[in-house]
Amino acid sequence: MDAIKTLLVDDEKSFIETIEKRLKKRGFAPYLAESGKKCLEILKDSTIHIVVSDVKMPGIGGIDLLKKIKQDYPAIEVILLTGHANPNDGVEGIKQGAFDYLTKPIELEHLIGKINQAWDKIQRIKEKKEEEAFRERMKKQLIANERLASLGTLSAGVAHEINNPLAIIKESAGWMNTIISGMNLSTVPRLNDLKTAIDKIEKSVERARRITHQLLSSVKKQDTALSEIRLNEFLQETIHLVKRSLPEKNIKMSLDTRHTDGILWTDPYQLRQILINLFTNSARAISNEGWIDLTVADTGDLVSISLKDNGEGIAYENLEKIFEPFFTTRAPGEGTGLGLFITRGIVEKLGGKIEVESQVGEGALFTLVLPKFNKNCDTQKGRN
Amino acid sequence: MGKIRIPTRVLVVDDEKDFVEILSNRLEEAGETVSSANSGQECLKVLDEKTIDVVILDIKMPGMDGMDVLKEIKKRHPLVEVIMLTGHGSTETAVDGMKAGAFDYLLKPADFSELTKKLVGARKRKDDQEERIRQAEVKLLLRKGGNI
Ligand SMILES: Nc1ncnc2c1ncn2[C@@H]1O[C@H](COP(=O)(O)OP(=O)(O)OP(=O)(O)O)[C@@H](O)[C@H]1O
Ligand SMILES: [Mg+2]
Repeated sequence: MDAIKTLLVDDEKSFIETIEKRLKKRGFAPYLAESGKKCLEILKDSTIHIVVSDVKMPGIGGIDLLKKIKQDYPAIEVILLTGHANPNDGVEGIKQGAFDYLTKPIELEHLIGKINQAWDKIQRIKEKKEEEAFRERMKKQLIANERLASLGTLSAGVAHEINNPLAIIKESAGWMNTIISGMNLSTVPRLNDLKTAIDKIEKSVERARRITHQLLSSVKKQDTALSEIRLNEFLQETIHLVKRSLPEKNIKMSLDTRHTDGILWTDPYQLRQILINLFTNSARAISNEGWIDLTVADTGDLVSISLKDNGEGIAYENLEKIFEPFFTTRAPGEGTGLGLFITRGIVEKLGGKIEVESQVGEGALFTLVLPKFNKNCDTQKGRN
Repeated sequence: MGKIRIPTRVLVVDDEKDFVEILSNRLEEAGETVSSANSGQECLKVLDEKTIDVVILDIKMPGMDGMDVLKEIKKRHPLVEVIMLTGHGSTETAVDGMKAGAFDYLLKPADFSELTKKLVGARKRKDDQEERIRQAEVKLLLRKGGNI
């Protein structure tokens, strides 16, 4: 809890200095201002929680000062000090939003009591605001999650439906290819044009297929198998799998598991999917030769898996965009731009986070943070 | 080359009629003997009536789920090999299918040359299996004969 910052305002210098001295003895360290004007200056530069102000002052009077404070700094509480002769000032002050008023001559204990009450009120308001903000955030998050989930189901459904006609197009094109392969140029004068056209159909089907399969890879089977993963074995295996699919490049892959006990409870299929996406991206960013380092570390209830490469890196202005669907810097037909979008979706479903750090020419670092024990484990384990 | 190849007896099962038709054409052109079915039930019926070496089975079909069809095939005709076509981008269904006894799987839309390769593999496994059974039977017969 931060210390209570108070500001005393009174044109009677000797008065506020005595109060200051006595408050200091009680652990307060009030700011002092000899006029309303000075008070407003201090408020501009410092964070003040509570203003204790005299009402009768030359220049800006206490009531006007109060109005100004309430207008510009609504979170500040104001305690007014009123003269004996003007009991109405206090009532007017409360109408204008003062926390309370004390009648001069004031008793120190009363003042401290009021300051503490005002402080309590400030704390209550703050807590309420935080709670509201938290609730608001949760609500937004929930809506976003739901939207993502239904979007995922929908797009996977669409992708699946598209695969069937794609298969027919593909087989038909292949069939045409077989037929015309047996013909010769004299009987079909534009045979080569036909072949080129069929070739284009086949290539485009391949391209569409990549999109549908990316989309489908994001759907979780209902009976997801959450299980205990032995990271060392699992990651070695994954690296092996990736290496086999990238024979044309010379990429050194290393694995550092010194800072983990090697156990993670999550869905192995999905974790593999995530890693394959990240590995593939890194490998593509490396021109011919390079390295990819995989580091795993435990931090409390979390496990972080980071993947660092020395590829071409990512331009600053693209760092935000790479997780968006269909964002890609690859040539049309070579990347769907769905890889990272889907990866992030899966990571979030597993209750984790993914972050990126990169500079052009410096490679990229993707860090995946997952809960060591997936919350869904308990509820799901029984079903498998 | 030039060697006479015994055609593989293939059964293509998919509820997409156009797909079945065109794939059958291609397989026949490639020299196989092809039958077709548009549903799981039909598939099982064909298997009861004809000798089939390899079934190419779409895993996602309405009515009887492809996975159930696969299990039923393996129960009734354990020697018939099955190649699954799955629409799933993830390999989960595929792994489940292999556990249930499928020879291999392909993601839809599949590559024809890969399909042909897997057909050869499936056919070979079935032939080997049948050969082993034959030899076992011969051994059994000989032993019995010796006892008489
Ligand atoms: N390790 C990396 N190094 C450099 N750039 C990267 C790296 N990973 C991702 N990117 C950038 O982020 C973009 C988006 O990546 P994402 O995986 O979403 O799609 P993609 O790889 O282009 O397509 P797909 O994954 O479908 O093949 C890439 O096109 C690339 O520009
Ligand atoms: Mg990618």
